[in-house]
Amino acid sequence: MKSRHLVHPRLAEKVAFGGLWTAAVVVIAPVFGIIAYMLYRGIGALNPEMFQVGTKGLVPAIVGTTALVLLTALIAAPLGVAAAIYLSEYAGRGPLVRAIRLALVNLAGVPSVVYGLFGLALFVMLFQLGRCLLAGACTLALLVLPLVISASEEALRQVPHSLRQASWGIGATRWQTIRRIVLPNAMPGIITALILSIGRAAGETAPILFTAAFYSLSKPFPTSLKDPILVLPYQLYVMATEDPHATEEQKWATAFILVVLVVALNLAAIAIRARLRRKQRW
Amino acid sequence: MVRQMIEVAMQEDVIIRPDTDIKMEAAGVDMWYGSFQALTGVCIAVPARQITALIGPSGCGKSSFLRCLNRMNDTIDGARVEGSITLDGCDIYSRETDVVELRKTVGMVFQQPNPFPMSIWDNVAYGPRLHGVRSRSELNEIVERSLTRAALWDEVKDKLHQNARGISGGQQQRLCIARTLAVEPEVILMDEPCSALDPAATFRIEELMLELMETYTIIIVTHNMYQASRVSQFTGFFLLGELIEFGPTARIFENPLDSRTDDYVRGRFG
Repeated sequence: MKSRHLVHPRLAEKVAFGGLWTAAVVVIAPVFGIIAYMLYRGIGALNPEMFQVGTKGLVPAIVGTTALVLLTALIAAPLGVAAAIYLSEYAGRGPLVRAIRLALVNLAGVPSVVYGLFGLALFVMLFQLGRCLLAGACTLALLVLPLVISASEEALRQVPHSLRQASWGIGATRWQTIRRIVLPNAMPGIITALILSIGRAAGETAPILFTAAFYSLSKPFPTSLKDPILVLPYQLYVMATEDPHATEEQKWATAFILVVLVVALNLAAIAIRARLRRKQRW
Repeated sequence: MVRQMIEVAMQEDVIIRPDTDIKMEAAGVDMWYGSFQALTGVCIAVPARQITALIGPSGCGKSSFLRCLNRMNDTIDGARVEGSITLDGCDIYSRETDVVELRKTVGMVFQQPNPFPMSIWDNVAYGPRLHGVRSRSELNEIVERSLTRAALWDEVKDKLHQNARGISGGQQQRLCIARTLAVEPEVILMDEPCSALDPAATFRIEELMLELMETYTIIIVTHNMYQASRVSQFTGFFLLGELIEFGPTARIFENPLDSRTDDYVRGRFG
């Protein structure tokens, strides 16, 4: 029988595959391109001198960023996971729950600079924390909460309903079931969600602009929650826009370190998830 | 009315132990999922230490009714139950009823084997631990006793600390029965416990049910009419949310009173 196709299926297959492959490459290539370019431009500055500790610089900024994101996680994790448990395990479908979900979706879309100004008004001024580690972490925690909540809720929902039923059927209360069955099985997903959120927080500049970050400090390492800090994104921002003494190489090197930090956090999330997934089966 | 049924059964030479009494009784049970009425006016009396089978086509309400008996429907959004259901004469839907106590007393085995993703030992010890048993030796004892009663001990005694997801489907289902037995229930509800199993595994479970009948009251929902006739002493036939007929299994299958029951057990529909 004579083929009635306008385009031969085999040709169409090739075109489709080629198109999709190109799209994938177009998406991925810039990521590697940017990292490679940053390394190329900044490699000259990646020397011991750059890591020297002064009133500003890379090492205090790395320490400050680490402290900031850890504290952010410490604040956001219990709140976010608790809210996710409520939404997934307890809440029905009432108007209150719909309102909460709507709020979450909208919060996730609020520009980060708004969080920064909100943090400034609430934590720095109203609570009189000043520009410090704690105020910055609280602000970042607000920023990542929607992400933590929705990803944790997703992880909780992945736990098969049959396991909950089995537990209830033996006379377990809702909370016992959550503690002993649901949470342990949702842990890989929740931890992944937390690390991805931390990765997001580590790269944010606007929320810490008014709440935590300084470019130069007489005491470069924070010793209390009320200490101001140096952080990588803000270092980079000031270097790039305001510091006449910063060389091009230093700027690129700082950018490179920041991206490496975020990528490392994301890789850690993937590794932990894979590890925990291997242990469980259903 | 139900007592009459049992008397009738006795006249019909059905073997019923002289100490047979009513374990659970439902009177005028209506049930809704939202605005959909799943059950209408169900009245049934479940005799103690017997196997009662609930049969009927898909969607007839037999599983919904089963879940009323341990208030599993409480966990479904929009589910509502009216009428009275008693366990040893006490209303299980009254305010004073402790649902946790009820579900301990009225255990449940599900259609799909659903062991927890943990070791075999932990699966069986889960219930007793929840209810406060701490001592390791006591737990060991419970685990061995429950697995033995569920006819699984010999097959798994050497791998108690392996993941329960690694054993066969039939073994998993017997493990789920052992997990239920570990909290010492009086009634065991089984919701199509063999529909995910092969014939050999099904046979093992049926054998086990007949052994468990000595101690426990068993109510089984099944799609399989042969299974109902093989294992049960009493059968209830559900259709469109109503209990059409209830009585001794032999009579339901050989000499049903209602023509719809007759049609169903003869395989004319369903």
